[in-house]
Amino acid sequence: MTATLVDLETIAPAKVIDARGAACPGPLLEAKKGMSTVAVGAVIEILSTDPITKTDIAAWSAKVGHEFLGSLAADGYDRVFVIRRK
Amino acid sequence: MADTEKLVFMVTHGPAAPELATIPFVMAAAALASDVQVVMGFQADGVELVHAGVADTVEAPAFPPLAKLLADVRELGGLLLVCGPCVKSRGIGVEDLVAGAEIVAAARFVVEITSATNSLVY
Repeated sequence: MTATLVDLETIAPAKVIDARGAACPGPLLEAKKGMSTVAVGAVIEILSTDPITKTDIAAWSAKVGHEFLGSLAADGYDRVFVIRRK
Repeated sequence: MADTEKLVFMVTHGPAAPELATIPFVMAAAALASDVQVVMGFQADGVELVHAGVADTVEAPAFPPLAKLLADVRELGGLLLVCGPCVKSRGIGVEDLVAGAEIVAAARFVVEITSATNSLVY
C-alpha cells in the first residue's frame, strides 16, 4: 500500500539519515547502514539532495525486502521514507 | 543452485579513465548494499586502482572519490582479485596492493565468473 502525502508528513521516523551532498551511491549506503540500527517495523527517513535517490531507494527497498513509503520534496532536497521489513 | 546472488565486475581501466574506473565501484557498492555478493576482478590498467595510494588520486565528476568507494566495497565485504601477470608487468608486488587484495590467475577468474549470477566488464 502506498502512503499518502498526509501520511508521510505525519510520520515520526526512528532514524533520520542526513545524506545531503552525497553522490550516488552514498545515500543508498547510508540507508543500508541506518536500516541496521532500527527495529523491524520502524521507519527511516533519508535526506538527499540527489534527485535520483528516491527512485534508487525505491528499487533497493523492493530488492532487499523493505517497504518504500514514498518521498516528500523539501527545500532543495528530498525526504525519503522506508519501513524496515526484515 | 545457491540462493545468494553474485556479481562479478571486471575492471580494466585505470586512473587515466576516472569515470570508467569509478563506475564499477559504484555498482559494486550498490550490489553489496542489496545483499548481493561481489567479486571485483582487476586486469590490465585496472590493477592500478588497487595499487595502494592510487585510489586517492582518482575522482570522476559527480561521483564520490574512488578512495571512499574502495573503502565502502571493502567494508561491505567485496572480494578484490588482481590479475597476476598484469601486476607483474607493471612492477607491482603483493606488498604494494591495498589490504585484502589477492593476486590470482586466469583460472580463478573463470571460477568466479562461471559461478556468478552475472558478470560485467568495465
